Amino acid sequence: MDVERSAWAWSALGISALLILHFLFRPFLVRLPIAPQLLIGALLLATLRLSAGQAAALGFALGILEAAMALEGMGTYALALTVVGYTGARARDLLFADARFYVFGYLFVGTWLADIILLLLGTSPPGFLRLVAGGGIDALLTATVCASVEAFTSSISERQV
Amino acid sequence: MRYLTVGRPESQRRDLLIAAGLAILSLFIAGMSIESRLAITRVVRSTVLAPFLGAQRVFARSSDLSEQVASLTSERERLAAKVLESANLELENRQLRIIAGLPERRIGEFAVGELTAGAPEAGSSHTFLFRIGSDIELTTPAGISSPQGLVGVLRTADGGSGLGEFWTHPDFRVGVRTPDGSTTGILRPSPGAGGETLMLLDGVPYQTSIAAGTLLETSGEGGVHPPGVPVGRVIREESTRSGWSHSYLVDPIVRPGQVRMGLVWLVRPIPSSTVDSLPGNLDAAGGASTEPPPVGPDD
Repeated sequence: MDVERSAWAWSALGISALLILHFLFRPFLVRLPIAPQLLIGALLLATLRLSAGQAAALGFALGILEAAMALEGMGTYALALTVVGYTGARARDLLFADARFYVFGYLFVGTWLADIILLLLGTSPPGFLRLVAGGGIDALLTATVCASVEAFTSSISERQV
Repeated sequence: MRYLTVGRPESQRRDLLIAAGLAILSLFIAGMSIESRLAITRVVRSTVLAPFLGAQRVFARSSDLSEQVASLTSERERLAAKVLESANLELENRQLRIIAGLPERRIGEFAVGELTAGAPEAGSSHTFLFRIGSDIELTTPAGISSPQGLVGVLRTADGGSGLGEFWTHPDFRVGVRTPDGSTTGILRPSPGAGGETLMLLDGVPYQTSIAAGTLLETSGEGGVHPPGVPVGRVIREESTRSGWSHSYLVDPIVRPGQVRMGLVWLVRPIPSSTVDSLPGNLDAAGGASTEPPPVGPDD
């Protein structure tokens, strides 16, 4: 039980760090043509350890924060991230194998799909190229950063055991 | 490391109910009035997001400080020269208005405010948050400009803050004219090459042509923007529509990303006594005309 709790605590620390980085450097990140989607990555990492209901609630809360930061899309962001949180947790329940390699794939596919949902719900048409190419590179970056954070926090908690 | 936690059927049902409830709540929020959403935004920004916004402001200030000092110095010098030039002009204008029997020139006042641009990941943002330091009650719609030129329009307001739209918003329109007043038209945003948003001047009569590089400024029609605010420069003719009017592609002077401070135009209503005393007002003089008096922000 303590091992579980320690792993959870380290993972929560990693997720919190990603969220803090996202909200702190958001104005800089959104100006870049390609950037990691730290908010979606953190949400997907949290869905690995939360129930589907909890993940949906976290997605909703992050959606409200993101919309308040972006000054638009209040409700739309909450809806998109609620769906991402719930489906992410359900997909993990149904598909996930207990191997670290899958974390990267899960983050990559999850971020890409979430990016597409967000762009489709956005205020201006994103364009096919942005959806396919830009979204894919963003997802690759996100998966790399977030999987590294997850691997780092997991290795620390395992070392403590 | 264990991630595999398949829930029991009853907890799956509970999770689904929670997610469905939150999705309905999200849709309800999305359907709320813009004032209510602004209130939620304000609460979240002043509580949970306050430390992040504070840190962002510090980063932005420190990174732009030297650039701002240089630009403010040159702007101050230009303004000082302009004030000296216009001092005589102002006096002359006042004397001529007295001779012509015209009332005092009233184009309203400006209030300075902080402008925070929204830039979400989903699509490109056209929205900004505007906040003035003083306790002036903002009214909408109100034109927002910077010393360089037109920025956008304030759409909703609550006290001294409100939400506005940059000129890049698809619904944005503004009446413009050339500085000599010979040509007028309506400007709207238009997507340019490479994803950049430019402006399109519509409705220019067929027989009128505008040279590339000509400055366009607000005409003041509609009373939202004051007259004479620079908007953009003509790049080239875009297309001929219906054979009777031109369209011109216009390079905007202000880019939304550059603006941090804005000026909101506070229109002062013209007192009815002034309107009644105007020479063209036949109603006041006992005439039968139902036409409105020829006054407005362009007055």
